[in-house]
Amino acid sequence: MFALYLAQAVNSGLALGAVYGLMALGFSLVYNSSRLINFAQGELLLLGGLVLYSLSQAFQLGPVTALAATAVFGFLLGHVLYASTLGVMLTAKPLRQLMLTVAASLIWQGAAILLWGKNPLKLDQFIALPAFRAGPVFLSANTVTSLALAVASVCVLSAFLGLTRTGRAIRAVSMNALAARLQGVNPVRAQALSFALSGVLAALAALSIGPQTMLRYDMGFGLGLKGFVAATLGGYSSLSRVFLGGILLGVVEAALTLAFSADLKETLTYALLVGLLVLAPAPQHRREKV
Amino acid sequence: MRRELQFLGLFLACMAGLGAILPGVHLLALNQHLFLALNVLALNFCLGLGGQASMASGAFCGFGAYAAVILLERWPGGTLLIVPAVALAAFLLAAMISKPLEKLGEGFLAMATLCLGLIFVNLVLSFTGFTGGSNGMMVQAAPSLPLLGPLKGDRANFLALLGLIGLSGYVFSAVRHSRLGRALMACKDDALAASSCGIDRLSARAVSFGLGGAVSAMAGMMLANSTGFISPGQFDLGLSLKTLLFLVIGGPGRLVRPLAAVVVLESLIAWFHSLGEATILVHGLILAAALIAGYWRETGLPRLLLR
Repeated sequence: MFALYLAQAVNSGLALGAVYGLMALGFSLVYNSSRLINFAQGELLLLGGLVLYSLSQAFQLGPVTALAATAVFGFLLGHVLYASTLGVMLTAKPLRQLMLTVAASLIWQGAAILLWGKNPLKLDQFIALPAFRAGPVFLSANTVTSLALAVASVCVLSAFLGLTRTGRAIRAVSMNALAARLQGVNPVRAQALSFALSGVLAALAALSIGPQTMLRYDMGFGLGLKGFVAATLGGYSSLSRVFLGGILLGVVEAALTLAFSADLKETLTYALLVGLLVLAPAPQHRREKV
Repeated sequence: MRRELQFLGLFLACMAGLGAILPGVHLLALNQHLFLALNVLALNFCLGLGGQASMASGAFCGFGAYAAVILLERWPGGTLLIVPAVALAAFLLAAMISKPLEKLGEGFLAMATLCLGLIFVNLVLSFTGFTGGSNGMMVQAAPSLPLLGPLKGDRANFLALLGLIGLSGYVFSAVRHSRLGRALMACKDDALAASSCGIDRLSARAVSFGLGGAVSAMAGMMLANSTGFISPGQFDLGLSLKTLLFLVIGGPGRLVRPLAAVVVLESLIAWFHSLGEATILVHGLILAAALIAGYWRETGLPRLLLR
């Protein structure tokens, strides 16, 4: 019986972990390029999912068109978020920039309520992969799809950041914005692109979670915060570690749900983050914002 | 310091005048604004003096409210002992929490304290036997002072809130112009340089964080007494976010401007409550506009445009 519960916990933990991993990647992309903690990351997921929902109501979307629409609208939403937050106050104090992302999160949530209402909306499963079973391990079709989507995203993002000129420019800005500028890289453009890429990742996360838990106007903040926990768990520096941080968080959360109540599980998750922030070497000490 | 206190006096006089002419329902709304203003002042101790952006205002406020309500229910006549004891406990708790978190940068400290706020709410929800869980608790006994009697009614709470804002404002100003205040300013401007000058950063910031926690707890006690009911929803993340937002808009380190920002912007936001589903959107737009306007003012854009 216990093994069955454990298998179920691993299954749901991996599905959730894939979403957390994608959110964490978005968080670290934005943080590394601009030293900004983006409070509106969860709203990127929400709006990305809702736009996709409306598109699926208007048109018949296949797997490829759904993916393309996710990427395009996620990219646009990320860009709009950049233009309305960091882009407006490039030289402001970090706290004011952070607070503007909080205000942006309220605006986007308000827009979602006005346009789509407060009722939960179920996103179709556009990419349907078969379930997987190996002995006691069972992964549902949703979990396999989420994992495949997330792993593919990490691979594509790694290739983009490592192999293309634009990707290398983003990495250069992350390492040292001043030195990158001296080499002819435009840091502002790199920051805008990081926001746009985090928008794509958030929209892909919506594609994963939408069919499982439905889309609700107030779901963004919680998922964004979990993404932040996962990014902290992964240490912000390496894509694969940040993604694994998400997977680990998902599995740990699912295991905690087995042992404790939902409220106590949340308490332990946040206590874990506080502990990590206090004990782990903090990335903010590495570099000053330029 | 004198000029600052004069402005605080003027603000309190304006509020007292407003409170004298406002009818019951509007006075209740003004009490809510003043409760938020007291919270903003509490956060000003942490951020304005110590340079630490905290999002745990809701947690300390809730701690004060729940502790005072539970203790006053058991010992209804112990106001003079319970209120200072709860404030002292909040001070010690905040000071203790501040020490390990001191090394975190602005954004990471905000996230860590935000988690503390969430932990508080989840703990309240978990221990239903003490706290009533999500159903909340009725306030059974109002604090009672010798000669004045029980603190009941909107007007009595209004005056108590004004008194607390005045007292906390005075303490804020006195601390800022003291040796400790100068040490805190040094920590805020350059933590490394402050340490090399021999300032005990951890202790100095623990005091400012502790003072902020204590004032927040007092605000929580006032809220509980004013509304007659407490629930975890009153001390959730929304309160902490709003508090930090208003302080950033008003200017951390300033005494009166953040308080005025709370009253003006909250009144404006309350005015838009009739918009129904567009309320959150309008809240966000007002706050974003205030933040951007503050940034433009700092960068001198209006002067450039006028030229």
